[in-house]
Amino acid sequence: MALMPERGAGIHGWGVYIPRFRIPMQEIAREWGWPDHQWRALGMMEKAVAGPDEDSTTMGLEASLNAIRRAGVNPKDIGAVFFGTESKPYAVKPSATIIAEAIGATPLTMASDLEFACRAASEGIKASIGLVTSGMVKYALVIGSDTAQANPGDVLEFTASSGAAAFIIGSSKGSAAVFEGSSTYVTDTPDFWRREGSPYPRHGEGFTGEPAYFAHIIGAVRGLMDKLGLKPSDFNYAVFHQPNGRFPLKVGEMLGFKPEQLKLGLVTPMIGNTYNGSALIGLARILDYAKPGERILVAPFGSGAGSDAYSLIVTDVVEEKRGRAPLVDDYINDKISIPYSVYAKFRELIRVVRE
Amino acid sequence: MVYVTGVGLVNVDRHYDKSTRRLAFEASTAALESSMAEGVDFIIVASSISYLHEPQLDLASYIASSMGLRGVRSITVECGEASGLAAVMTAKALIDSGQASRVLVVGVDKLSEYPSWRVYKNLSLLYDTESDAFYSIGLGGIAGLLMRLYMNVYNVDRLTLAYWPALMHQNAKANPYAMLRFAITPEKVLEAQPVAEPLTLLDTFPLGDGAAALVLEGKASRGVLAEIVDVESATGYQSIALSDDPLKIESLEVAYGRLVERTGMGSVDVVELHDSFTITGILILETLRFTERGKAAEAVAQGVFSVGGEGPVVNPSGGLKARGHPIGATGVYQVAEVALQLAGEFPGLKVDGARSGLVVSINAMGSSSYVAYMRAVG
Amino acid sequence: MGEWSSARVWRSRVYRYRLIAGRCRSCGRAHYPPANACPYCGSRDLDEVELPRVGRLISYSVVYATPFEDRDRSPVVIGLIDLGIARLVAEVVDVKPGDLRVGDRVEAVFRRIAVDGNTGLIVYGIKFRPVRVG
Repeated sequence: MALMPERGAGIHGWGVYIPRFRIPMQEIAREWGWPDHQWRALGMMEKAVAGPDEDSTTMGLEASLNAIRRAGVNPKDIGAVFFGTESKPYAVKPSATIIAEAIGATPLTMASDLEFACRAASEGIKASIGLVTSGMVKYALVIGSDTAQANPGDVLEFTASSGAAAFIIGSSKGSAAVFEGSSTYVTDTPDFWRREGSPYPRHGEGFTGEPAYFAHIIGAVRGLMDKLGLKPSDFNYAVFHQPNGRFPLKVGEMLGFKPEQLKLGLVTPMIGNTYNGSALIGLARILDYAKPGERILVAPFGSGAGSDAYSLIVTDVVEEKRGRAPLVDDYINDKISIPYSVYAKFRELIRVVRE
Repeated sequence: MVYVTGVGLVNVDRHYDKSTRRLAFEASTAALESSMAEGVDFIIVASSISYLHEPQLDLASYIASSMGLRGVRSITVECGEASGLAAVMTAKALIDSGQASRVLVVGVDKLSEYPSWRVYKNLSLLYDTESDAFYSIGLGGIAGLLMRLYMNVYNVDRLTLAYWPALMHQNAKANPYAMLRFAITPEKVLEAQPVAEPLTLLDTFPLGDGAAALVLEGKASRGVLAEIVDVESATGYQSIALSDDPLKIESLEVAYGRLVERTGMGSVDVVELHDSFTITGILILETLRFTERGKAAEAVAQGVFSVGGEGPVVNPSGGLKARGHPIGATGVYQVAEVALQLAGEFPGLKVDGARSGLVVSINAMGSSSYVAYMRAVG
Repeated sequence: MGEWSSARVWRSRVYRYRLIAGRCRSCGRAHYPPANACPYCGSRDLDEVELPRVGRLISYSVVYATPFEDRDRSPVVIGLIDLGIARLVAEVVDVKPGDLRVGDRVEAVFRRIAVDGNTGLIVYGIKFRPVRVG
């Protein structure tokens, strides 16, 4: 078996943030003349909407604070902050530095914004594993946060939502979940993109499925299982990138996972696709409930395209950390329903001319 | 000790056709004419929001030049809403020190220059931009939360508090310089559009332009309207959040204590005080101990501060609420109004036989407070 | 509108981001934001303390008379908040104004305070919202 540096790293703290506002699917369907079949086919109920004073940075910071609370680390020991997003508040100016400053990790830390559609934060996890196991940094903070954009009226609008997840990665010693191995699968596949200056992304609809989402996740997960000599039944939980409520179930089935393994990590039907937070909020929810010794597969995906698959083994430390911050379910259940008009205003779909 | 020998008032209104300088000129000309003064040593301009609404730095010298007073000594005083009385204090200090014998004080500001939302934003700068006004407090955000606190702490209902604006509107009816010269009922205050709940539009001052001027002299050689015995002031907390007792205006308590100590003043016959919002007027009455804490609204409703009431007559001009509140000019209006009352010449609601008066001007909720004690002459 | 200079935003970032208050070594009282001297006793012998992130709403106002740039979140709720060792005034968000009650527990959240025109800086800081989680 190949050398597995991943085993020297683990998750010390996890945390999420989901904004309070929700728009039910019927609201979007009614506004744009979609039949209800459209969103039912996506396996969606409602999606989270960031408030007018929220953005990927503010949500990322809240998730980071929750992760730090669980990790119980001194922010000064965080040597790297990776902020994965495709909805940067500034086109040029890092969000990672704002978060690093707000948590008190500055100035002796790395801080970078990463971009790879919905998979940037996942690559941040992989980079963090390398930094931690090489001894270059003690802890790394990885954040996936998006206020996902969708062209109004596009079918993407049903799912594109807002939320964030954050993880403190450190040595496997004392961690709540130890990385067992990882695998990455990347090709040049134009399934979803947004050009510089364009407010909304474009996508290949069906093309985002087979050659993109499914091919890459399957490639990464099979690569991981081959590497580790594992089969689907060896995992207690599996969580995949969740652009809607159906794709993760389907890719799980294609890989040989059972719906029970997928259920806990599937959050998109309740909150929508939080892009960089998508699979990672699912992972956080699994950590909220998993028992020591259980094995988790997590496979984020990013358009363009690529997927990472990670295997994690939960340790007995998980239980003492759990209560230190709100659970994913606390955020899912804490909601205020808003109509389309308010959603449109909050997400700046209404053009307001300012001075 | 200084004497008010001339006053000039421009009616508070939306003077779209008049610049800041023109308004200052009209008030100044009226004051100089009424005092029959020949020349002044100093012109002190009280102006606050004009920096933002008709931008001009070193305003006093430009106003002086534009009214043909080239060569006069000039100072601009900016103390937010309290600028007017701060300018009077400055003038008095110059006269008391012997550096001037006759000073023209003119207060001027315009609130009609921009749409209301922009005026609200600019007015929020009267509050601390590092704390309260770091947030979008709009017009009356701080006053609104103090009003709710007051209602909760003292168990006073909203309607009782509405007697203040009703009294102000009643008083303003006869004042030719007032902007809002119509009566309202307390019930109408509750029905008005909310501005910063629980306060409504009728708890706030109208956005008008105005200018008021005074001629102040150290020696009373000609027709003196009144005497300014003393002006005192104090600064307070940056934010109401720092105060253990935000329903008391600490800077005002200190300033008033100093005034009483320095002058030995007792009760007064007439008061012009700073009711930027209903709650501000109520808190000032209580800080001055004109009533017990929590009782001022009820006292207003019972007519204690009306003509013929037991207390001093408060804001016979209609106050900031109904006369209007052209920010930097307001303190000058108040001194002019009390001077006219003490001379028996106020053209609106008269306080017959008034011999002594008090002017209270504060910025925000008491970042600073100024008080003046005035007496009739002769 | 160009109201927020880089220098001003930069200078104040730490206390805005982290609820850092001043604390007087002489009288022991805390104040927010940190001042150059204690607002209570005038001492300049100060250190810093991070304020608790959960407190109680002492009073609030629902402000309709807001500047145009804040119209998207109007009415704006302004609260007087007791954090135990200090009080502060801050915006209260994520709530329907009618659901708010004096005495409600509120928690700090990191939010946009202002967005300077179309090309200027985004100013971040702390607001509060009713605690409903946990």
